[in-house]
Parts: sequence; structure tokens; C-alpha cells
Amino acid sequence: MAMRELVTGGAACAVPGSSSSSNPLGALANALIGSSSKTQERLKEIPTSATTISDGNFYAGTDEQLNMLPGSEFDHPLQSNGQGAEFFRGFRSADQGRLADVWDEIHSPQLPHAQGRDSLTNLPVMDHTVRVNMPLRPDFDGPPQRVLSSFLHSFVNSNRGGIPFHPTPLPVLGLSEGDKQCIRDRSSIMARHFFADKNEDFINAQVNALLSSLDIDSDIQERGPQPGRFRELEGYWNESQGMLKPGPHAADGWVDEYAQHRIQHGDPNAWAHSFELQHGANGWASEFEHEQSQIASVNQIGGSNIANLAAMEQTRMLAHTLAQNNDPKFQNSKFLQFVSKMSRGEIIIEDNQMKPAVVSARGDWAAEYQQQYDGGHTWADQFMHEKLSRGPDGWANEFAAEREQHGSVDQWANEFSKLQVQDWAEEFGNQVGKGALGENSADNWANTYDDFLNEQVAAKQRSDTSRGIYEFSDVNPYVGHPNPLKEGQELFRKGLLSEAVLALEAEVLKNPENAEGWRLLGIAHAENDDDQQAIAAMMRAQEVDPTNLEVLLALGVSHTNELEQAAALKYLYSWLRHHSKYGTLAPPEMSDSLYYADVARLFNDAAQMSPEDADIHIVLGVLYNLSREYDKAIASFKTALKLKPRDYSLWNKLGATQANSVQSADAIEAYQQALDLKPNYVRAWANMGISYANQGMYEDSIRYYVRALAMNPKADNAWQYLRISLSCASRNDMMEACDSRNLDVLQKEFPL
Amino acid sequence: MAKSTQLKSDALMEQMKLHLSTDAGKQLTNKIGLVYQINISPKKIGFNEESYVVDLKKGEVKKGPYDGGKPDATFSFTDADFLKVATGKMNPQIAFMRGAMKIKGSLSAAQKFTPDIFPKPSKM
Repeated sequence: MAMRELVTGGAACAVPGSSSSSNPLGALANALIGSSSKTQERLKEIPTSATTISDGNFYAGTDEQLNMLPGSEFDHPLQSNGQGAEFFRGFRSADQGRLADVWDEIHSPQLPHAQGRDSLTNLPVMDHTVRVNMPLRPDFDGPPQRVLSSFLHSFVNSNRGGIPFHPTPLPVLGLSEGDKQCIRDRSSIMARHFFADKNEDFINAQVNALLSSLDIDSDIQERGPQPGRFRELEGYWNESQGMLKPGPHAADGWVDEYAQHRIQHGDPNAWAHSFELQHGANGWASEFEHEQSQIASVNQIGGSNIANLAAMEQTRMLAHTLAQNNDPKFQNSKFLQFVSKMSRGEIIIEDNQMKPAVVSARGDWAAEYQQQYDGGHTWADQFMHEKLSRGPDGWANEFAAEREQHGSVDQWANEFSKLQVQDWAEEFGNQVGKGALGENSADNWANTYDDFLNEQVAAKQRSDTSRGIYEFSDVNPYVGHPNPLKEGQELFRKGLLSEAVLALEAEVLKNPENAEGWRLLGIAHAENDDDQQAIAAMMRAQEVDPTNLEVLLALGVSHTNELEQAAALKYLYSWLRHHSKYGTLAPPEMSDSLYYADVARLFNDAAQMSPEDADIHIVLGVLYNLSREYDKAIASFKTALKLKPRDYSLWNKLGATQANSVQSADAIEAYQQALDLKPNYVRAWANMGISYANQGMYEDSIRYYVRALAMNPKADNAWQYLRISLSCASRNDMMEACDSRNLDVLQKEFPL
Repeated sequence: MAKSTQLKSDALMEQMKLHLSTDAGKQLTNKIGLVYQINISPKKIGFNEESYVVDLKKGEVKKGPYDGGKPDATFSFTDADFLKVATGKMNPQIAFMRGAMKIKGSLSAAQKFTPDIFPKPSKM
């Protein structure tokens, strides 16, 4: 869409009074792309040998000539208001499509002779001659219209084979200021598409050659209101052009267009109107960028990532607000740079990780153009089609139609409005305005951001483990081991959990149907304080062996830890159903709609059936955790511990329950029991840290977190908690070591 | 519990309630002394919100909107995002920029809302 917008250009170039919305280069591009599918193939011009009258009065003559051309008088009698722009108006009129036709006439090998125009027998000859001459020595004789079109052609042609374009003296064309501006803007933009593979100097040289030949001043003129405070936004825009990297022309052309839109179409059309509604009187500049990001996003992202678009938009508005803070320190802060980068889509945030955008935002234009160019017919067809239906408000309709076609825009817009981004951006702006942030707030933000940046850089690119998908380690020395399961069991017994994980991964890679391999892997992960991986592994185990009680209990516990009540309840209920002894208690139809109270009642029945079964008390304890009846849960675990005093995971369960019911001192005792039985129990070490932290003993908590991390550096939760404790203990000096996950430094600083 | 809500955050709020009765929790109350209202939606901000008031003046957590006037700051989250912020998985500023956290009220009050005010859940 961007390219089409660009080429068709809306009505920006139309002189007031013109009913058309096309423009010379649009027509030219259309012709260039190939117009054999046109339905209204007509010859409107025939080449004449008339030389240009250079007394400035040539239009009259030309008009006369044109009117006398066979066939042309029926199609488009020219209004003879005698002004120079007249020719140009016809020239840019898409309905008449003269330029395009001229081009066909000159260039098309299969010159259409349809509709009884065959009588123009002189044409083919002319066509031939011109074709021979055309690419290198364009024929600049003839009426201004032809001169201009062939001139522009030679400009366009110069891209083929990379022949530099040479300025050529031209007869005076009598272009109006608006015409010139239009040509200047368009050519500079289009040149960047034609010469996408050339460097900037070459492009500028080409454009300047063209412009100087046409006697167009390539300087930018001051047009339209341009309040100083939007210079920043202008800067973004220019930067955001990425590889297109236009000179001032392109950006200015756009700005200018928008300004003109506002003047010419401010009233009647909805699009411009809604601008004003949304953005107030001087909103156009910001809207310009807004529009920009919309267009760009539609093209390259195609609605695939709404969240990023919204984030981009939000940060854009934030950037806007922040940019008004004049503190130079703040202006140079990484934070602002980050925000503005993000607002331009150069950075996207995904799963709380920053990533550079995969494709440079606007760099795609060129590629897109190339695509359209290749599939030129579609483009041309569409263009022609729209030419037919174009009314005075054509461009607005077109725009609206485009928006409908690209459903994602609407989707995006809806999404966007639902988020009520504006609300908070305004809110933020208000707060800044009121000075509620206080003196240092900007620095504060910047610092926080810098901290976060460091954290992110340090963090491994490990996104949240997607639900239920087991993530294997990249490098695994146990692959190829003759009996990885046995090795894994051995390592697990020795308490080398991280090693055991690797061996067991090798086992399940070798035998994906090995339920015991998956189960032990899940347990190893749980003891290593990684519930996501534990759940993923246990789910694979359950797939293979749906009735394994240990697996079902483990899944129930892990989901409880993750606060997923419904899932936890489901697995705990399954445990009961598949139990050889208590299965009869559980009516199978109940599993469709589980209510906590019913399940709890069943388990209590079971516990009464066999009070000596430690397992039933364990499950009951987990169940009470789920309902946060911690006292009952503690009682159940204590009962179970009397039956199974050497179950280290049971001690940990007791400790965690006590910790969650703020009996931290008791919890630490229980954890210590667990650790005495299993010194490498990472989860218990991490839980120790949590208990100390929750009591406000941050220095102590740090030592335990570091200990846990030394045994399993992949325990992300512990890293996050460590960071919080460091900050609460005012140990910002160690923050960098934490962010870079430098365990050597941390262990030295915080020995246990 | 299971009947009333399925929000994961509910568990954390419950723990916060208990936490505020401990010494550490009382220190927190003295340190911050502000009232936060937190609106949590299951999937999408603004839909089916549950409100919690974390009153760090009185040291209370209550369900339902604040009835003592205007809270110092009101936050809106989805369930998952609130947990991420509260457990240190997501930085509040980043959450704000992503629109994962919406703020009303005093921004200086909002800036005191950091992950460390919530207790960390222990794992079985």
C-alpha cells in the first residue's frame, strides 16, 4: 500500500480545481509497469513534429493542435482557459491517462490499434523510431507534454543498466510552482525505488540532474506550518527512513502533502476530519508519523503481531511526551533513545526480551516496490480499476478502501483503541505537566531503564517456556551414551541434578516412549526449581503412561506451585481415580466438572479408609495448599512425615506451606531437614532464600539464592529473586554480577 | 476459594494479606504508607476485572474497590502480567511501556510500587 500511496500520491499534487487525484509520475509508473491490460486503450495523442513555441505562449498553439488531433477531440476536449497549468492538469489526469498513453505509444511494442484508431497509420512508424532512439537519446521535440514525458522516461530508463542520467537542455515547459514541487517530490521518492541498489550520491545526482533540466529548484522551500517542537519528530521520520535515507525532498514531500491535505480536504472528507478530531489543531505532524507507522506496519507485519504494533504506538507517544523534556542529560539518555527506537519499530519487545526488529522498518519499501514491480499486472489492474471509479473524493475513498482491504489496519486500530493507549499516555503527559514526577523523576526513569537494559543483555534469550513444550539443552554430552537412563538415575541419586537432567534428556531423546525417563526428568527439574520444564516432562510421561500415580501427583504439585488451580485439581483428582484402592471412591462422571469441595471430601474419605497411607496425606496436604487452608495442609504433611520421615521432598512441602502461611521460622527448620537429607536440593535452597527475604533478611536470602544458583544456574526464578534481594539490601554494586550471571563473583561476595 | 475466583493473582494477594501482619510487612507499611488499588482481569485489561485494595497505610489487603475515597494510585493488569511484575519477571516500567500495566492517580505514588513489596511464594 505504501508504494501505491506514494505513487498515486493522493491529491497532494492536484492543482485546486482539478478533479483528478493522479499525478505524472503515477501515470508514468503505471505505464512503466505495463498497461497491456488496460480496458480503455485509446490513442489520445499522436506525435507531431510541431516544435515547441518558446515565446511562452505555446499553450494556445498546443491546444489548438491537440484539438485538431483525430479522435482526441471526442475524448477530452480541453478547457481552453489558456493557462499554462492546463496542459499539466490534463497531463496528470488519470482519467485521461495521457502520459501513460504517450508512453505506450512511444514504447509499447504491441501498440494497440483498437477501437477504430487504425486510421492513424503514421503511428507505428513513429513508434518504431522513438523506440530505437529512446533509451539513450530521447526525442525532446514535440509538444511540452511529450517532451516532459519522454524526458521523465529517460530519467526512469537510466536505472536500467545504471546509465547515469545527464541533464539535457529542454525547451521551456512553463511549469507552475505546484507542478515543479510535485515533480521534485515525486521524483526524489521514486528515484529511491528505482535505484534501490545504488548509493545515495548516485540517487541525488540523478534527481538533481532531472530537476535542473526541468529548471526546478531542488532547494526545499519553507512550506506549511512547521512548529519547532516537532523537529524532533521530523528527525525520527528522517532517521526512520532507514536505508532509503532520503534527502530532504522525500520527507518534505510527504509533510507537504499532508499540509496540503489539511488545507484542501480538511472539511469534506472523513479521513482528514478525523485527524483533527483526534489530534487537535496542530496534530498533523504527529499524525504524520502515526500514519507512517501504520503504513509501515501494515506492509511488513501484516497484522501478525498486534502486540508489537501497540507497543510501538505506545512508546511512540511516550517518546513524544518525553521529547518535550528539555534536560539535555535526559535527552541523551539511553532510555529516550530506546523509547524512540522502539517507537520506530527498530526494537520490539517480545516475551519481555528486547529484540532488534527483524526487518529494518522502512527499508522494506524498496523490496515491496520490487515485488509490485514483478507482479506488475495486479498493480496496474488495480490502478486502472480505481481510475474508473475515482470521483472528486477519490483519494479518500481509495484510502478507505485500502484500509478495508488491509483488514489488519482496522484490527490494529480496534485493538489499539481498546487498549486505550491514549489514556495512559495522556495521563503520563499530565503528570509530567504537573511536575508530579519531581526533579529527579526523569533520571529515575532513565536509570531504571538502564538497569533493565543491563539485565536484559545479560539474560539469556530464554523466553518463557511455552506451555507443555519440553526444551532440550543445546549441547548434551550424554547423547550416544549406551545407557543414559541408568546413568541418569545414578546421577540423580548422587544429587547431581543438572547432570541427571542431561542424561535423562539423552534417554528420552533415544526412547521417547520411556515414561520412567520422562518422570525422573520431571522430578529432577522440580527439585532443580524449574516447574515449567517439570510440567512439560511430566506431561510427556503422562502421555505414555496416563495412570502413573507419581506422575499425576507431581503434575498436581507443579501446577499448584504455578497457581494453576484448575489444572492442579484435575491431576489430583486423576490421582485418586487411578489409585487401586481409592479409585472406587471417585465417580468417573465427576471429572467433567470438578469442584474443590467435592474433591477435598473424597480425599478425606480416602484418608479415613487408610490413615496409615502416607501418600494420601501428602495429596491431601497439596489439596489444602490449593485452597490455602494452610493449617490443615501443615497438619496433613506432618502426619505424612511421621510415616515417611526421610522423604526430603515432603520436608520441603511442609516448609513451603509454612512459608506461605508466614511461619517463616518454622519453614526454615523444615527446609533444613530437607537439605540434611539431600544437600543438593536446589528447590529447598531457593525456598530458604525466599523465607529470609520475606522476613526482610535480605543479606541472608542472597546467600541462599546464590547457593541455589551455583547448583543450577538455569533457575530463572532464583535469579529474579536474587536481583530483588540485592536491590532491597542496597547492594547495587553486585547488580552487574547478577545481571551478567557471574556466579564466581557472587559466590565470593556472599559465601554461605 | 475455588468457587470464588480462578485468578492466580488471588493467591498472591492472599499471601500479601498474611505478609502484612509480619514484621517485614509492617516495615513495608511504615515505609510506603500509600493505598493502591489493583484491578486484575483474567485475559484482557478492562474485562471482568477483580479489584483488590492493597492498603499500605493500614496494612491490609481487601477485595473490592477502595471505599475510603481515592486510592493514591490504581493499576490495571491482566492476571498473568500482574504475577510477572510481582515476582520480578517483568520490570514495572517495561510493563507500563508495553501497556501491560495501566496507571491512574499519582505517578510518584505509582513509582513506589515495586516488585519487592509482594512476598514471594515458596514452592513445594
